[in-house]
Amino acid sequence: MRRDIVKAVLRRTPCGNLMANAVELRNITKYFPSSNVLANNDVTLSITEGEVHALVGENGAGKTTLMNIFYGLHRPDSGEILVNGQPVEIHHPDDAIKLGIGMVHQHFKLVPSFTIAENIMLGIEPNQYGMLKKKDEAEMVRQLANDFGLPVDPYARIRDLPVGMQQRVEILKALQREAKILILDEPTAVLTPQEVKELLAVVRNLAQRGRTIIFITHKLVEVKDVADRLSVMRDGKMIGTRTVAETSIPDMARMMVGRSVLLELDKKPATPGEVVFAADNITVTDASGLPAVRHISFSVREGEILGIAGVSGNGQTELVEAISGMRPVEGGTILFQGKDITRRTVGERRKQGMAHIPEDRIKIGLNLETNLDENLVVNRYKLPEFNRLGFMILSAMKRFAAFAVKQFSIAAAQPGEMIATLSGGNMQKVVLARELSGEPKFVIANQPTRGLDVGSIEFVHRSLVDVRDRQAAVLLISVELDEILSLSDRVLVMYRGTVAGEVDPTTVTKEEIGLLMGGSSLPGTATSAGSVQAVPKPQKEVVA
Amino acid sequence: MDNYHRQQRVNTFLVPLLAVISGLVVAAVLIIFTDNSPFAAFEELFKAGFGCSSLNRCAFFTTLERATPLMLTGLSAVVAFRSGMFSIGQEGQFALGALTAAWLGFALDLPPVVHAIVIMLAAMVIGGIYGWIPGVLKVKLNINEVITTIVMNEIAVLVLVYMVNFPLRADRGTTAYSPVIDETAKLMIFMPGSKWGMGFVIAIAAVLAVYFYLWRSAPGYEQRMAGQSSLFALFGGIRNDRAAIRGMFISGALAGLAGAIEVIGVHYRINQDFAPGLGFTGLSVAILGQVHPFGVFLVAILFAGVGLGAQLGLQINLGIPRELGGTVIALMILFVAAEKFYTDGISGLRERWAHFRGQKTAVELAMEERE
Amino acid sequence: MEGDLFTVALLSSGLRLATPIILAALGGAFCARAGVLNLALEGKMLLGAFVAIVATFYLGNTFAGIFVAMLLGGLLGYLFAFFYLRYQVNLIILALAINLLIGELTVYVMRVLFGNVGSWSDPSIQRLPDFEIPLLSSIPILGDILSGYNFIVYFSWVACIVGYIVLFHSKFGRHIRAVGENKQAAETLGINVRRVQVSAMVIAGMLCALGGAFLSVGHLSLFTRNMSNGLGWVAVTANIFGFQHPLGVLLTGYFFGLAEAFAVRIQNVTDLPPNLIQLLPQFATLAALILVALREKANLALIRRRFRRQLARGEMQSAAGD
Ligand SMILES: Nc1ncnc2c1ncn2[C@@H]1O[C@H](COP(=O)(O)OP(=O)(O)OP(=O)(O)O)[C@@H](O)[C@H]1O
Ligand SMILES: [Mg+2]
Repeated sequence: MRRDIVKAVLRRTPCGNLMANAVELRNITKYFPSSNVLANNDVTLSITEGEVHALVGENGAGKTTLMNIFYGLHRPDSGEILVNGQPVEIHHPDDAIKLGIGMVHQHFKLVPSFTIAENIMLGIEPNQYGMLKKKDEAEMVRQLANDFGLPVDPYARIRDLPVGMQQRVEILKALQREAKILILDEPTAVLTPQEVKELLAVVRNLAQRGRTIIFITHKLVEVKDVADRLSVMRDGKMIGTRTVAETSIPDMARMMVGRSVLLELDKKPATPGEVVFAADNITVTDASGLPAVRHISFSVREGEILGIAGVSGNGQTELVEAISGMRPVEGGTILFQGKDITRRTVGERRKQGMAHIPEDRIKIGLNLETNLDENLVVNRYKLPEFNRLGFMILSAMKRFAAFAVKQFSIAAAQPGEMIATLSGGNMQKVVLARELSGEPKFVIANQPTRGLDVGSIEFVHRSLVDVRDRQAAVLLISVELDEILSLSDRVLVMYRGTVAGEVDPTTVTKEEIGLLMGGSSLPGTATSAGSVQAVPKPQKEVVA
Repeated sequence: MDNYHRQQRVNTFLVPLLAVISGLVVAAVLIIFTDNSPFAAFEELFKAGFGCSSLNRCAFFTTLERATPLMLTGLSAVVAFRSGMFSIGQEGQFALGALTAAWLGFALDLPPVVHAIVIMLAAMVIGGIYGWIPGVLKVKLNINEVITTIVMNEIAVLVLVYMVNFPLRADRGTTAYSPVIDETAKLMIFMPGSKWGMGFVIAIAAVLAVYFYLWRSAPGYEQRMAGQSSLFALFGGIRNDRAAIRGMFISGALAGLAGAIEVIGVHYRINQDFAPGLGFTGLSVAILGQVHPFGVFLVAILFAGVGLGAQLGLQINLGIPRELGGTVIALMILFVAAEKFYTDGISGLRERWAHFRGQKTAVELAMEERE
Repeated sequence: MEGDLFTVALLSSGLRLATPIILAALGGAFCARAGVLNLALEGKMLLGAFVAIVATFYLGNTFAGIFVAMLLGGLLGYLFAFFYLRYQVNLIILALAINLLIGELTVYVMRVLFGNVGSWSDPSIQRLPDFEIPLLSSIPILGDILSGYNFIVYFSWVACIVGYIVLFHSKFGRHIRAVGENKQAAETLGINVRRVQVSAMVIAGMLCALGGAFLSVGHLSLFTRNMSNGLGWVAVTANIFGFQHPLGVLLTGYFFGLAEAFAVRIQNVTDLPPNLIQLLPQFATLAALILVALREKANLALIRRRFRRQLARGEMQSAAGD
């Protein structure tokens, strides 16, 4: 890996013109009135010709927005763009394509019922008097694919293809339009390790052929692996640009998060009791019917926090949805307080004492179209306190809202307040107030601090430890390693839908856990086993 | 509250106001073509639609009579929308409700009051079932409710035409009518000169009932949460599917009731053109009324009054075709729906004003708030 | 009596009655393919009917009248697109408002222009002439069925075939389908999504207006209040039943037209209720919707079952392996 970087640096030295800036984005500002988000705040970025430039930052940092502006999908409120030293106006993707800019989007932009050739040639179809020449089209695609060593079947339909292949189509789309500057927005998030390897090789190859590449990712290992320089964004602002070879991964992480380590939590040692929750050999599929969680088993005892670490997109979302009852399981059983709840509804699970802090408070955890009071009772409106003969007791709801505001210090809120007017941190406090009051027996906390400021993060952590100390069982899912390590009493690492291993948070090193998160638990284990379907193994050893 | 939210709140009031004004401006232009003064015409329209010269020559009572079916079909749309179902099936449910009432109105032999109540209940059940079907199709088979309700509207109207022309046909005149219903089935009327009566009271009761159902009852709460954010409802433990089906049933029942009242309270028999667009107008009432029962109450009266005013005030007194009323209503719906036109305009003006006074723009304010 | 029910005349009057349905449904199909639910077919058709006869009256030429009607229909389609794309008005509300607006406005204008009447005609207005297609008309029975109409009828068939070729074999059609299926995919490749959707809606407006013109100057020569009388909604249904495919729409449109013709025929020849026949295509549409949904559901269940079976096998294997 090191050698690659040295090579990458050497590669350009003899050319001499390595200082030419292929791209300059100057003082870009973008405000979204509809969501009241300042996605880019005076951002400046320079990209050298022929380099692989990594753009990193947490979720919502504004990376995609910046690239969408560069690609003509958004108009900035202010700022200017230079390509090859010339100021340019990019109003529409068409302009970007003409300037030799290509973009592979985070969420693929393909037409599912079209063939590969139809997708690649969309907008530049060979035609005669407006009528399509379908044979020529397929031939051109075959030619292109061979040129770049990325073979595809031009007649295959997109909807039948695996994700890795769809991504290849996206890259070919850009290459067919002779992109000189290629933007890849989180290209590895959806790929298997094998596919990631192949992709990184493709990226290097393209750079060698003189393409300039902007590579957006969350995974710092990949940055080390493939990029020459990196730029870090946080909260809409550009934090800085560094040479990859001279920057360590922890340094990068610090730039991303804005703080080196989490504040130490003074928490008492756990006093685990009975097993409250157990998942036995469960398998879950994602929205497209592909397996997302394979044969996972674990259990959580009262009075402990079980952390699940892992890179996002490794099945955590589906696991949580299955446990909470929002998604059916395909196999295995779920036990809660000794009872089989595998087929129970969300409502029944909640009634028995399950609480759930979801990963997306805006779309899932809250109803922004209504007020505080109604948001707070969604899990308890059937209780006699709030409900008499099918009628809601508004005064009780109001009282509960007042209590929640006070207890969880939800700033600038009062009963009846519309949720949409609250800040992100206060929204999360509303979720906490709903889920944690009323003595839950089992709390699922999925990414509970995503997008929060330091103060709110601390509050969330404190609340979770408190509820643990009241002898609830807590399942914490997070992609923030520090969060997992400082809060959890035990830690499982999830990788590709399975449990890659269990570690002790007090003794494990970051390197060890990082290896598990990357799926390469033992050095020398062959990852080239081929298709993912071959991997699953029951994780008997982690059943507590 | 910050700058952003303050602006949002102002817009809620400004937009409908501007929309109504725009509708009137276009109407004024149309009136000018008839060589009338728009102001005189509006005055005439208002007098004829909302005025009251004496107790037994009171146009407003007729307006209330005409507002009754609009209120009920409007409520029907409100209940469906609030469960997240974009049902446009009021037309068909109304037709079946009317058909049920026209048939039971002469076929049953019951004492006064009881007869009417039985008819209304039956119409509600029939309408309810007719709403329930698309609900089930949506929930179980994921068939778009807009499409099923369109097809089912067509079916209901054809059934009504068939029934009026054949099994229920009373005479051999040029237009087919069903028999006039029994006296026992008719609803009480308050004032001679209009059919304003018990039907209106029932509609008011329905407004209140829908309000209490949606905002005070647990099933109503479930329905609103499912309608506003189905993911949130699922996450919170609410059965979205049941809420949607329940909403569709109630919605159908209300539209069916509207049809029944129109028969036993106003016309006493039906012909084959019995439901021309009343369902769709109800839908518009719901939208202009902010999908709220009280809004529906006001807008239904507004629509009925404008319609009546156009017919009596404009057409008869000034010779302006009464279709102007419907035109104005359609324009208002259009302009309210084009909300973004006004919000864009307002924020553009605001920016310019801020710039003119050397104040900061929304972007600058946002940047500052985040310092 | 019974024998008289099914005649060649029935088939050909079915074709005639199907014409406005086919044209409007084809317009709906273009919109649907471009990702726009167009429920304003009724309003656009009514506008076409009204404008065609009024323009014919003032211009003294039926073809010129029809041309003006199509222009205005296209303009209304453009307005529809404008409100939807520029101001993001909800498509359903927009369509219902336009239907209501046109329904009232046509009568308003008719009364302002021609006095207080419920329907209007003028002796000067020439109905569109029927003509025979030279070779076709000499074939025995087939000639009687397929020939002897005015140009709008022939045009509706040609339009469906051309529509099919455009949608599935031309660049423009591919862009329409791409926009309808994944707007962003098209947008990021530099396709002007707005322009594509606007074109689809303008085309739909013109086709609907032509369908309407068929009613007022092709089939009859008068205009009455609410002349389209729900045919636009029938077209919406025919489009759904025809799976938004121009050729499908040609068939389902004819199916609906035939049912109408049959209903008229029954009324004239027998005492049987005609409306039940009109119910037939409606029920067929509903059944088609349900069948498609059931098939989808069955497919999903199949995938799921297969996966569960694999799972069971996999579990057995690994248990054996341990
Ligand atoms: N079209 C939009 N309208 C309103 N808000 C938007 C829009 N697009 C993005 N945002 C907001 O802008 C912020 C930045 O989003 P962006 O997608 O650029 O982040 P990102 O850095 O790419 O994050 P991720 O790693 O999750 O992809 C987010 O808060 C997002 O909600
Ligand atoms: Mg992004």
